[in-house]
Amino acid sequence: MTTAGVHAASGSPRITVGTQEVSLTAGYLLPNRLKHYPTKQEGPAFMPSWMITLTDPINDSWYRGQVSLGAEMVYIQFREPFDTHGVGFTPKIKYTFVALDRIRPYAEFAGGPFWTDLAGKIPEQSSQFNFILTAGFGVSYFLTDRAALNAGYRFHHISNAHTSTPNVGLNSSLPFAGFSFYF
Amino acid sequence: MNTKLSLRWTIIGCCGLIITLTTGCARWIELKPAADSSQEPSVRVIARAEQVPLVMDSVGITRNGSPQNLSPETEQRVLGTLREIGLFSHLGSTDSAEPPANEKFIRARLLLNEAIDPHPGNAAWKGFVIGASMFILTPFIPLEYDYAAHVTLELERWDGQVKHYESQSSGTAHYQLFGATSLMIDELKGHVMESCLTALMQQMVYDTTFYAASSAPVLERPIRSVSVKSKRSTLTPVSISTSSGK
Repeated sequence: MTTAGVHAASGSPRITVGTQEVSLTAGYLLPNRLKHYPTKQEGPAFMPSWMITLTDPINDSWYRGQVSLGAEMVYIQFREPFDTHGVGFTPKIKYTFVALDRIRPYAEFAGGPFWTDLAGKIPEQSSQFNFILTAGFGVSYFLTDRAALNAGYRFHHISNAHTSTPNVGLNSSLPFAGFSFYF
Repeated sequence: MNTKLSLRWTIIGCCGLIITLTTGCARWIELKPAADSSQEPSVRVIARAEQVPLVMDSVGITRNGSPQNLSPETEQRVLGTLREIGLFSHLGSTDSAEPPANEKFIRARLLLNEAIDPHPGNAAWKGFVIGASMFILTPFIPLEYDYAAHVTLELERWDGQVKHYESQSSGTAHYQLFGATSLMIDELKGHVMESCLTALMQQMVYDTTFYAASSAPVLERPIRSVSVKSKRSTLTPVSISTSSGK
């Protein structure tokens, strides 16, 4: 009756309730500039994360998938317009489509506090304490039953929820790649 | 003044984090025992010369009504439990060769019907709420995973007579987010299965004399019961405990 959290009996990993995932993702932040505002923020981003699988696969159609919950640290080294930094902590929820065996598309959403010293130096943001909201999609390719390569795209929005003005917000695109380990 | 204030908030924050992490790791299993597992353990005696071998003929597993691949672990666990009661001289798995037809032996057929309810909708919704609260609500929002098993064991004596044994049990794993592991689910399944097998063995031990070598002669022309059963019609609905109390 014993079953490990991750199986590969049929050639594809089967991730069950309680399976944990540790990931390291990196990408390059590119600006989605708003009209009349000059800031073109860009730079590399690193996002280590931890997640836990909350459900066994739900449904039997093409959208059969699993829900995971976890947390992510996001570090952005802004290289433009000034050499500055940003760091944040975001709870993260992910829906992974499992119908395609080893290739597993997913959609994710995260949001949480974000500190950056870029704010105050640009006209869009005034305070160093901000929030970051992230929505994106990606694909995991399982190299083994415990390790996967990930690649995808995220949209980032940074603003301070009107805790100070100005609060125009910074929007960015973030293509990323990384790997995950499941246990 | 500001230093004192920030120190105070740091301490409060650290305490909150420690409480969240420790209480958010709790988990426990609530087991609903098999219906007849409360019976007193039964003791019967069988002479070694009276023992006959048992050979596993087939093992069927269904999960939420769908047939599953054969699990060697399940078969080994059942054989291990049969070995413990000492009723049979030798135990053979489905892979082992059957004794010659003119020898006395027992054929066993096992059907395990599992019912799993991980409450996916609840878990997803609760997970969203826990995440939105920055994990602060983790200790206050438990998650559940239900598992039930219905085991049928059919033993056919060398003269074609068949005895049926059935048992069922269920349980619920309650856990906080940080306490979730796949081992927890294995533990739940292990306890439920153990409860089912114990109840089955108790029933079997009552029939010790039925399996003694002297209970029936070897037929000159041995017979074997032949049947085709509709898998769907034989499925017994297994109820799942949904009580939330410990």
